[in-house]
Amino acid sequence: MHFDRALTIGSSVRMISPDSKNCAETPEALITRIAGTRDRAAYATLFTRFAPRIKAFVMGQGMTAQEAEDLAQEALLNVWRKAHMFDASKASAVTWIYSIARNLRIDAARKAKRVRELPEDLWQGDGDKAADEQIVDTQSAQIIKKMLDALPPEQKDILRLSFYEDLSQSDIAKTLSIPLGTVKSRLRLAMTRLRTAMDGKSTGVKS
Amino acid sequence: MSAIHHPGEDLLWDYFRGALAPGLRLSVSTHLDLCPQCRDDLRVFTAIGGALLETTEGVAMSDNALDLALARIERPVDLPEVSDAPAPARRPAFLEGFELPPSLQSAEIRGRYFVAPGVWMAPIALPGEPRAAKTYLMCVKAGMEMPEHTHRGREITVMLQGQYRDHKGLYQRGDFSQCDEADDRHMPVMMGDVDCLCLVAQEAAIIPKTWLGWLLKPIARI
Repeated sequence: MHFDRALTIGSSVRMISPDSKNCAETPEALITRIAGTRDRAAYATLFTRFAPRIKAFVMGQGMTAQEAEDLAQEALLNVWRKAHMFDASKASAVTWIYSIARNLRIDAARKAKRVRELPEDLWQGDGDKAADEQIVDTQSAQIIKKMLDALPPEQKDILRLSFYEDLSQSDIAKTLSIPLGTVKSRLRLAMTRLRTAMDGKSTGVKS
Repeated sequence: MSAIHHPGEDLLWDYFRGALAPGLRLSVSTHLDLCPQCRDDLRVFTAIGGALLETTEGVAMSDNALDLALARIERPVDLPEVSDAPAPARRPAFLEGFELPPSLQSAEIRGRYFVAPGVWMAPIALPGEPRAAKTYLMCVKAGMEMPEHTHRGREITVMLQGQYRDHKGLYQRGDFSQCDEADDRHMPVMMGDVDCLCLVAQEAAIIPKTWLGWLLKPIARI
């Protein structure tokens, strides 16, 4: 079994901490192995698992198959190069990988200024520092994942269109033929619920 | 003290997906520097994205993709190491004594000019900003009043120091205010005895409503 092999290798050759043995094969463990020993097998596993998903994700947002494939390659290469910056005790690997892919997509869109129907929608970037800072811990990531499933379908639809198709709220309103105000309130409801679940406490209503 | 006026989810979402023009982007990131609550919202967005990525059904990569990936990691990194924090821009002397959030520390702030006694503006140069848009720091001496005006397009104000009140309430450091055409006759009143400093991002020039405002406009370039 893969798990056993990792254990054997880990105890004999590679310096794997007891922690990472327990969760071998989680993306967190794979990235930690990459950071620690430049583990190429771990990279291959991570690549196989995430490159096709990143490709699918950005294709949904309007990239061609080739562009999406290049972006997926670039994203995983970034994971390899930045692995030492990843702290498995603090951050969820999936959200970290997602952030890297998202930044690349925004950069690519700004560079190409390849706009569909909104000529002034996207801009040449100076890099959004905020983007890389959104570290989400593993526990919060789990909570959000669980909560997403529990959202009412109409709220889920808004999130799906937002993330998978990269639409603004007015575009979502047009797509679903519902008033913009409805889109806004559904997103707000979903966000409030998710934020509350993540905080473990309720927060004030926004003005 | 944390901000009580926030950008709407729609604006935060457009920020998150990279779809805001530079001035609006700078004002949202300035607010984010000062508002843990909105930073949490972005964290929620990121977590949603991660969860959706995890459950996405992949599209097959081309046959040689893994070989290519394994070859690429062997190549030396030829890019210069990009430092995460941009070098702080030289800070104009007139900003001494103000506490600027990180988003503005690397911004290219131009020389200030006075538009009225006790009121100065300092434009911020942003690459890619459309010509009609203006982004600037504005400082209003305590006790002064802004000329009455309406808006063409969105105008965003992020308070950095001092406080003012308008028809929507009291605004203090970190507070984010958005006005548009619907906000007729917007007239903020400065409060307290501390000078007000705020970041203003306009999508299009504002329209003064009084003759004094019209007189001020060419001077103020607002």
